[in-house]
This record gives sequence, C-alpha cells and structure tokens, in this order.
Amino acid sequence: MSFTSAAFACFLILTIVIYYLFPRKNYQWIVLLVASYVFYLWADIRFLFYIVFTTVTTYLATRKITQINLATKAFIIENKNSLTREDRTAYKAKAKRKTRNWTTLCLLLNFGILFFIKYFNYLSYIASRVFNLSSVSLNLLIPLGISFYTFQSMSYVIDVYREDTEAEQNIAKLALFISFFPQILQGPISSYNQLAHQLYEPHRCEYRRIKYGLELMLWGFFKKLVIADRAAAAIQAVTNSPYEFNGTVLTFTVLLYALQLYADFSAGIDIIRAIAQMLGIDMIQNFRQPYFATSLNDYWNRWHISLGAWMKSYIFYPIALSKGANRFTKAVKNSFFGKSKVGAYLAVVLPGTIASLIVFLVVGIWHGAGSKYILFGIYNGIIIMLSTLFKPCFEWVNRFLHINVKSFAHHAFQIVRTFILVCIGNITDLIWSARDFLPWLRKIITEQNFIAAKEQIGNNISLCKPDYILLILCTLLMFAVGVLRENNPSIPLRTIFEREGTFTQWILIVSCIIVILIFGIYGPGVQASEFAYAQF
Amino acid sequence: MEELIEKLKEIRDDIDFKTETKMVESGLLASFDIIQIVAMISEEYDVKVPISELIPANFNSVEALYAMIQKLEDE
Repeated sequence: MSFTSAAFACFLILTIVIYYLFPRKNYQWIVLLVASYVFYLWADIRFLFYIVFTTVTTYLATRKITQINLATKAFIIENKNSLTREDRTAYKAKAKRKTRNWTTLCLLLNFGILFFIKYFNYLSYIASRVFNLSSVSLNLLIPLGISFYTFQSMSYVIDVYREDTEAEQNIAKLALFISFFPQILQGPISSYNQLAHQLYEPHRCEYRRIKYGLELMLWGFFKKLVIADRAAAAIQAVTNSPYEFNGTVLTFTVLLYALQLYADFSAGIDIIRAIAQMLGIDMIQNFRQPYFATSLNDYWNRWHISLGAWMKSYIFYPIALSKGANRFTKAVKNSFFGKSKVGAYLAVVLPGTIASLIVFLVVGIWHGAGSKYILFGIYNGIIIMLSTLFKPCFEWVNRFLHINVKSFAHHAFQIVRTFILVCIGNITDLIWSARDFLPWLRKIITEQNFIAAKEQIGNNISLCKPDYILLILCTLLMFAVGVLRENNPSIPLRTIFEREGTFTQWILIVSCIIVILIFGIYGPGVQASEFAYAQF
Repeated sequence: MEELIEKLKEIRDDIDFKTETKMVESGLLASFDIIQIVAMISEEYDVKVPISELIPANFNSVEALYAMIQKLEDE
C-alpha cells in the first residue's frame, strides 16, 4: 500500500477516525497496533514471521536483562552488610556478563537473519566466482522495511542493556514500537525513549495538529509527485544504458539524481512525520538542509540523521571511546612521536577516524548487497578520514594564503565542494557495479560536449521543455525553503507561515493542491514509483 | 567554567563557547569534536564519560557540559 495510493488514503482516514473515536483512550494504542499490522501485512502476509520473530526475541531478551538487573540490585541491597566492596563489584560484573550474553544472542539472531536474507545470494555468487564453484541461489523473501525495524528494535535492546531505558512489560506495546505503520518502511529510526511513550499515551483530536499534518503531507506529496517522480524517469533512461551517453549527459544525470534522491527521501519522511503528527505523535527530523553542508562529515550529520545517530551511538562511540582506543591514545601520547604536535593530534583523532571508516562500511552494507555499496562506504569513509587527519594542514594552508574562512565566498566554496563530493559518491547509486564507477567519472571529466548532449537527451529522455522549466522552478523553491530554514534554525517555517492571515494560508494550501493535481506524476497508466528508501 | 572554556578553545577555537547554546543541534560540534572533548574531560577531570551521556543535551552549551562533568565527578 503505497503512501501515494488511494487505498492508503482510505486506510489512513479510517485509522484516524477509529483512533480518535475509540472510547477507551488508555487503549487507543491498540488501534495503532492493529492498523500497523494491517498496513504491513497488506504487502505480503508472509512478512508476519519475520516481524513476530524480531518482536518476540527482543521482548524475551530485554525482559531477561531487566530481571537479571533487578535481581542483582535486590541481592546487593539485601546483603549490603555482609558483602565487601570487592564482592559487590564481582557480583555486578557477573550480572553484566549475563546481560551482555543475552544482548549478544538477540543481536546475533536478528542481525543474522537480516544479513542472511539480504546478503546470502550475493555472498554465494562471490564465493562461486572465487572458488570456481556453481552458485547456490535461494529465492528468499525480503520483508519490507526489515533494515529499519531491525535497527530500531536492536537499539532498544542495547538501550535496555545499557540501562538507559526500562524494558517494556507488555509485548503488544513493544510490537507497536517495532511496527508503527508510518515509519516501518523507511524510518526515521527512533529511539525507544523518544517514541514509545508517545505511542502509548492517550491522544485527543486537535484541529491544529491535523492542519499542520496535512500541510506537511502536502509539501511531501509535492516533492514526491511533482519533482522526484518526474526526475526519476529521466534518470532511469540514462542508467539503463549509460555508455550510450556522453559525459555531459552523465553530469546532468548525477545532478538530477541529487535533486531526485533528496526530494524523494525527504518527501517520504515528511509524509511519515505528517501522519504521526495527525495521530498526536512527534517524530524526529531526518534532514537538516543536507546540501548546505560545508564538509562531507557535516553532510552526514544533516542527511538521514536518525541512521547517523544510530551509527554514532552503537558503533562509532563504542569503538572510538573503547578501552583499546584509549590505550592506543595513551601509548602514542607517551611515545616520542606523541610529544610532537602532530603526534598528539593523531593520538586523539586516529581511533575516531578508524571508527568512522567502519561506520561507513556498515552504512554501505546496510544499503544493500553489492560491490557498489561497499565502494560507497569506502569512498565516504576515506574522504572523512583524510579530511579529519589533515585538518591541521588545511587550516595551515588557509592561514598561509590569508583566506578569510568566515567570509561568504569561503562558505559558498565549502558548500559547492561538499556538494560535488556528495554527487561523486552518489554515482555509486547509479551504476550497476563498482567497476562502472571509474568509467563514469572518466566520461564526466573527459567527455563534455553540450551540443551532442542536447541531442542525446532529446532522443532518449522523455522529459519535454515544460518539464525542465518546472524542475528548475521547483529546485529554486526548495532552495528558497532551505535558505529560510538554514537562516532561521530556531524558528520553524510553519511559524513564518502561520504569521500570514488565514486567507493567505488557504490560498497557498489550495495552490499547492492544484499544482500537485496538475503537475504530479500519478493516475491511471502511471506506475507510481516506490519511495527510494522503502526498498531497505 | 573558565578553565573548561580554555580547554575547549584548544579543540575548536572558532566557536564562541560562552554564548553558544545549541552546539550539537546546530551542527557546530561534530562527532570528532565530541571524541576530543571526551578525551580532554577524561584527562583534565579524571572522569570517564559513559556513552549514554553522549547526548546533544549534554554538549549543546558549556554550562551543560560543566554540569555533566560535575555530575560524573559526584558519582
């Protein structure tokens, strides 16, 4: 059931009506649970096994961890007079080992399933090539959104292990946290502390929330149907047979893809946040003007924020601040090399850069099975690693050349440089396999011919002149919205919108609906393209 | 507090730590800066900052950072 389908519109209206008319407000969350399972299983009833498996294993592991923690605390309080400090430490360490074992088991089972169903065929193919054997290919069903709900539920397991959150006692409530229908297909990946209590609290229908939700949803549909789906057709025409096009067309495709990917993914998240808002639930932001980033690291702090936060909390910090990293830092600092300025700097940042490289490899693998995804991870990881390691050198160059790093020109240069780096990384999304990456780059650098490109685009891409004008106007509109948000980070755009009179607001809302109806790519005969991130 | 600001300046001299109140949320402080700050806290204040404390609320302002260090020192 796609968000852009009529079936989903009916499903959503029905859910909202039942949700707010439900007589027992304390049990309102049950409506959400039923709606979430209906929505999810609508796609394929066989998904049930996977999501129930994750829910049950998560529930059992977290309950066990909590039981061990409570029993340990009770034992220490009961025997506080007879236990020495060493006894208490040893007892706590033993309990921690047990909780760690339960956590590890749960993580292995769930990530194991995720890894198996997503990567078995690819790894089997690689093994067959390496060892010259016949490839074994399984016809595996990949449940929609499995990467998202697995990451969300495993974050909850780790949070319970770290004692950052209490284990949920009601398995049905936990099932809702894992399956909440707006977000199950493409995130954002929420933490239990941020989302769960909102799901279980009673909510009353508020005109303001419904209106805000509808406004945000309209903006999402505008980005998806008018921009993303229009650009998608042109991109597909090129990626199907890239070697028939020159470097100018490939450059155009890469730029169009930057627009399409952001419009598509941010539209999906806007619609998800809008639905949640109408249900009285606030979901986290997943984007903060990513194309205004001044470095690749900054870009990843602004793009898919919830995945970045997950990676930081459960991979980056645990590695960068581990005992091993700490020992490395101390050893380098105490060495002869560590006494120098360079040595002292490297001693602190090197563990972080290695952790960052690992994070990007995992992000690459998370995106899918294939050499191009690994290349995507390595590309981003290495650039961030080098930019961090050589940061003092860049600062020295800026001082040496008397560059005013606070000037607008320097800021604009950083934004353009980062955008180019992002676009180069995005090529990994457009190619079939990693080996196509360098030929694409070579063509982009060496085969620039605008006149030939115009002919190739005219002959092969179905977009016509009004489409291009519309895409340019929409890009300018999104850019203007981005500038407003970037310059007023503490004032939501909606507050600015609300300052206008009711009449102006409705004129804008109706105009937006008309634009979507006239220029949106939808209707009979149109195969609505799925949201790009729904495949994960 | 002044001592903490001086130490933070050694990590990021381009941030006005006295006035900034949304260092993480606005994207001023990146994860690499946070690692360096945690290493500095561990060295200067002899406290270990657990991963659960690495949340934006504790790093958004120098006051929040100082309060976290004091809380960890008391534990």
